[in-house]
Amino acid sequence: MENVIEVKHLVKSFENKTALKRVDFNVKKGETIGFLGPSGSGKTTIIKILTAQLHPTSGEVKVFNEPIHKLKTPAYMKKIGILTDNSGLYERLSIYDNLALYGDLYEVKKSRINEVLEAVNLLDEKKQIVQKLSKGMKQRVTLARAILHKPDLLFLDEPTSALDPVNTKYIHEGLKKLNEEGTTIFLTTHDMQEAEVLCDRVAFLHDGEIRLLDTPQSLRAREKNISISLVLKGDRTVVVKKDEEGAKAIYDSIQTGQLLTIHSNEPTLGDIFVRLTGRNL
Amino acid sequence: MTFSTKRVNAIFIKDWKDLQRNSYILFTAAIPLFFAAWLGRIGADSAILASYPVNLALVIAGAFIQAAMVAEEKEKNTLRGLLLSPANTLEILVGKSALSAVMTIVIITGSILLSGYHVPSLPVFAVSILLGLIIYLAIGTILGLLSRTVMESSIIGMPVLVVFGMASMVKTTIENEVLVKVIDYLPSEQLNHIWVRLGEGEGLSAVSGNMAVLLLWAAASFFATMLIYRKNSMDYS
Repeated sequence: MENVIEVKHLVKSFENKTALKRVDFNVKKGETIGFLGPSGSGKTTIIKILTAQLHPTSGEVKVFNEPIHKLKTPAYMKKIGILTDNSGLYERLSIYDNLALYGDLYEVKKSRINEVLEAVNLLDEKKQIVQKLSKGMKQRVTLARAILHKPDLLFLDEPTSALDPVNTKYIHEGLKKLNEEGTTIFLTTHDMQEAEVLCDRVAFLHDGEIRLLDTPQSLRAREKNISISLVLKGDRTVVVKKDEEGAKAIYDSIQTGQLLTIHSNEPTLGDIFVRLTGRNL
Repeated sequence: MTFSTKRVNAIFIKDWKDLQRNSYILFTAAIPLFFAAWLGRIGADSAILASYPVNLALVIAGAFIQAAMVAEEKEKNTLRGLLLSPANTLEILVGKSALSAVMTIVIITGSILLSGYHVPSLPVFAVSILLGLIIYLAIGTILGLLSRTVMESSIIGMPVLVVFGMASMVKTTIENEVLVKVIDYLPSEQLNHIWVRLGEGEGLSAVSGNMAVLLLWAAASFFATMLIYRKNSMDYS
């Protein structure tokens, strides 16, 4: 499958700091890739470079097979959607008027506005003035704006950081649907669960470097010594290793009718990140 | 470079809806009208005095309000949204200037009516206003781009208001010849020259030199705006 994003030896330095140190990765068409890392790890810098807001110091960056410096064009902007933590809204305008502006800039039909408002669960509030919305609702308006023109490539910087679990689930379902329709999604997040739910591959970014890049399943499978918890009758839990002795313990507990439930103690992506970098997200 | 009037119109409509709820801009826009009404009441009869409200309208509505509107887009991070949309530099600049331009024309018309200023030779007067509009909108846009907040645009806009709006008024009290010469080449002074000459019954040929100076100001300020816009509107570094 063709690559939508190709990044080779990307370096970005600011006056007194190197934000990205030789970063390499590709993103395939239709893929959802997640960049995980703590604040200051370089996630937002990557998004800014990929959306032509920042020039790389060195390295090669191609999006849709074109070098990034050629992409500051209306045609490119129509193909991408962006949600960042500082995507501003017009506070004195209604939700609908905010989207109507972008509908006209992207030349989309007015009926599409209601479609995206429904997707972010805000259709009934469309006449509300943005100033009076909660942070989570503003986040959903910004997301609606980012997907208004059905972009081929969607950049999301912490898309659900201000949302409650119900709306997070709503947004996740919307993003999955968008991805199924062919939109490639590049997202950054602190939320490991979000990465697990949405991403085909995840990259651990730390100090401007990609430490690991793989599918969530493969990342977990790299971990040796995964244990298994057996919950037995009488509120007892026994932890066994994935070896012959563990298998025997499981067999015995089934034979004696003691076993209630069995759980594989696979590490979460968060555990792997902490082990890898020594830092929490 | 393509130019979409639909995108320009979208930005204009957005600004128009926003203006209706923006008390700061509405109050600022009323200042030249109050000044014109006051001059009308005291019966200012000299051409220079009578044209002050027009100049003030250009400075306040053209530059000051434009600066505040652009600065607010930066302060609230909404300019980034426009820049990341398919709208190009020219469409955004024209779209962002359209409402200020319309407001300035409305305020100038109101100021003329309230102050009782008799407009001499409407076509030449209109051309001078058009050139003045381009210059002050460009200055306002530059001020807005250089400011981080609306408050900051008011602070750095104040010296501009004094120099471009009031230098002609205080010129007679200044003894430094170099300073007087500099003031002579300011757009406000060029506009005054044009309006006084027209008021004396002279035609376009008599004011062509002043028009040429205004044209130079308009071209220089337009290109300066494009340059500063490209440098300041994104994080390029």
